[in-house]
Amino acid sequence: MNLLWTILGSALNVAAVVLLAPLAEGVLRKITARIQSRQGPPLLQPYYDLLKLLGKEDLESGECPRVQRFAACLAPTAILAVATFLPMGFAAPMHAHGDVILLVYLLTLVGISTLLAGLAAGSAYSLLGISREMMTMITLEPLFAVALIAGAVHTRSFHLDTVLHGSVYATPGVPWSGFLLLGVFLLALPAFVQRVPFDVAEAETEIMEGALMEYSGPKLALIKFAQMAKLVTYCGLFVALFAPWGSHLVFPVGWLVFWLKVFLLVLLVTFVAATHARYRVDQAIRYFALLLGAACVALVLASLGH
Amino acid sequence: MIARETLNALKTRFGPALIRADLPADNRLFVWVLPEVVRDLSRYVFRDLDARYVISIGADDRPFSGNYLVAHNFAFDRDHLLASLLVHLPPDAPRIDSITDVVPAANWAEREIRDLLGIEPVGHVQPKRLVLPDGWPDDVHPLRKDVPWNIAPAGFDPSRDYPFDPPPPGCTVVPFGPFHPTLDEPAHFRLFVEGEVVRGCEYRGFMVHRGIEKLAESVLTYNEVPMAAERICGICGCVHNVAYAQAVESAAAIQAPPRAEYIRTIMLEIERLHSHLLWVGLACHIVGFDTLFMQSFRIREPVMWIAEKISGNRKTYALCVIGGVRWDLTPDLQSELRQVLDRLESEWQTAVAAIRNDRNLQRRTRDVGVTPPALVKDAALIGPVARAAGVDIDCRRDHPYAAYDRVAFDVVTHQGGDVWGRVVVRMLEVFESIRIIRQCLDKMEPGPIQLSITDDLPAGRLGLSSVEAPRGESHHFVVTGENQRPRRWRVRAPTYQNLQAIPAMIRDQQLADMTIALGSIDPCFSCTDRMETIDIRSGTARTWTQAELLAQTRARPE
Repeated sequence: MNLLWTILGSALNVAAVVLLAPLAEGVLRKITARIQSRQGPPLLQPYYDLLKLLGKEDLESGECPRVQRFAACLAPTAILAVATFLPMGFAAPMHAHGDVILLVYLLTLVGISTLLAGLAAGSAYSLLGISREMMTMITLEPLFAVALIAGAVHTRSFHLDTVLHGSVYATPGVPWSGFLLLGVFLLALPAFVQRVPFDVAEAETEIMEGALMEYSGPKLALIKFAQMAKLVTYCGLFVALFAPWGSHLVFPVGWLVFWLKVFLLVLLVTFVAATHARYRVDQAIRYFALLLGAACVALVLASLGH
Repeated sequence: MIARETLNALKTRFGPALIRADLPADNRLFVWVLPEVVRDLSRYVFRDLDARYVISIGADDRPFSGNYLVAHNFAFDRDHLLASLLVHLPPDAPRIDSITDVVPAANWAEREIRDLLGIEPVGHVQPKRLVLPDGWPDDVHPLRKDVPWNIAPAGFDPSRDYPFDPPPPGCTVVPFGPFHPTLDEPAHFRLFVEGEVVRGCEYRGFMVHRGIEKLAESVLTYNEVPMAAERICGICGCVHNVAYAQAVESAAAIQAPPRAEYIRTIMLEIERLHSHLLWVGLACHIVGFDTLFMQSFRIREPVMWIAEKISGNRKTYALCVIGGVRWDLTPDLQSELRQVLDRLESEWQTAVAAIRNDRNLQRRTRDVGVTPPALVKDAALIGPVARAAGVDIDCRRDHPYAAYDRVAFDVVTHQGGDVWGRVVVRMLEVFESIRIIRQCLDKMEPGPIQLSITDDLPAGRLGLSSVEAPRGESHHFVVTGENQRPRRWRVRAPTYQNLQAIPAMIRDQQLADMTIALGSIDPCFSCTDRMETIDIRSGTARTWTQAELLAQTRARPE
């Protein structure tokens, strides 16, 4: 029974991300266009884009085609694996098979797949892209670990269901550390999903999509899909950590509430992207370092029980 | 008076070396000098008299005087004078002392003379090929009169490579272009990058030459050239159209009627409006701020529509003939133009306020691509790039043409010489352009729009014309000739000078700033690359290579 539920729930989560991620991207594009006084593409355009890319010839233009193919597959796999650890209106399907530490590893794997893709492509621009990606990862990834650990400290548990349910606020008094982390995460969200102003690792007008520049056809479709999935999955993680209210309502109400909140976060990302210029990589890193400092303060507060 | 005083200053110092002088007007000076003194004379004019270097021109004058001709043009901006130092060189193995060690800005111009006319600049600081393609044979010089315009030289070697400089130790080479999303035209920068910092770069451009100058000297006639000149550039074509017409008019001592001058002024300013709006949009796009890019283009669109209503085209207005313009502005069009300007002004004020308050944008553009005043002087930088560094030059005021002497406007300057300064200068110049157009509409009186010229234009006369393009001074030099066409016509687009300063502007900056620094001069490569005489045959030679390349890329690995 338990195994059946794990499989069914995982399939449900993966299906939701696969089906809804392009829609979120479509909403993002449409709203962006409206802010820019444009008509914008149809809401379903990202689906068509992915289908078209999947149907194209599979060119092999990089240094190491085998690794490139592997990296292109790893990217969506890793992010969908993260999705199975997410409570989307019901308990996280894989909660019995992993804990918070595994989740942190999986999130890192998502970044690693981009590094691998860029390294295997081997062009000057993709190498520049991954060096930027790496700098971003080093300063950004600890943020998630800090938030999860703060939650774990509060609840004295590494269990997914416990931590991924607003655990950052689980203190007896006013949850100062939770509020601080909430602020940090709101500021860092566009960076986690690599949108303007933090898309330095791709930066079309500077380094021509960086790590992605040698990719086309089905491989590009997989990587592009991974980016779209990343957008909703990170928003989902944010909801689980910081705004879980309503997710425990009976299925499908809880499920709908969850996805509604995810789409609200997508809107936030859209507005930030449409009203900002891209940071230069050194400016972005300085910004992340500041956030990391604040997160560390939050961790100290959490360990002191606030 | 100024022309005469300058000539006297030259006489007292270089008396015996001056052969002949010509002062056709008080704002023009032509001095023929001996080749031996040209370097010292250039230094004196550039450093001691503090003139601005404009361009050097080479011409094959053998069928007429038996000699080659080289001219170094200088501008005395404060004194409203354009001067030209001319040298005749013997027809066999022509050589001239390079002035690049005293006038660094002459780097490209002398290399171009070497490529296209085979005149050797002795002592050049960087004697490398500039204009001709890599495989072009060394002994064929397309602008010589005995070389036909459609030459296909024997000995074109498609396998020959350009000898690039080796990168400095510790640096990797990052190729920037020929094709890059932020370059709308092909140009190649080899960046020497250490981590994320650019330590130097080498430029190889001139990939879109179309042989327009040679065409004008050998195929077109006086009134056909403006149409070709307009196609030098897709953004500031009207500038070249007007500058050419004015250069010929100045050589032949023709004055266009007042109404034609007003119409020229109006169209030049309309062109500046759309060009600046386009640039602000593109600059925002380069730093990833696409919302302002889109808004800027939306605000710009009515300008394109009114241009189309007036001239029949969004661009390529087909404005000038020698001695006037080709079409008139009807009262209906004038009132519609005023409405467009009113709307543009209010919308642009909103956009400017938004940009000025955007800290994020300023963080990306302040202290980026800095041009200190010394660099402005040495590289002879012009236009918004110079004005953003606090150098107060503007051809509209300094060398007035068309109706600019009859309208009031301010020359916008800024301090700092960074990209942000260039953004501010361009944004505010939009308001000055609106002001100028409104005054022209007020002051324009009915009258003829072109002269009827029945006589042939005199041959062998020299004409200079500087027009302030959106990117800076566009300078045209014309020698009138026989068969209804010029003997020599040299176009110096503003990017030709500004682009030469890019290596200095991006040195030791972040790689991420390269695109916005380059973008900030508003580069126009097709203007810069305007002359080349190859196309046809080298085209076929390359087609073969391309086909082979294509076959290789499409072949599946076994």
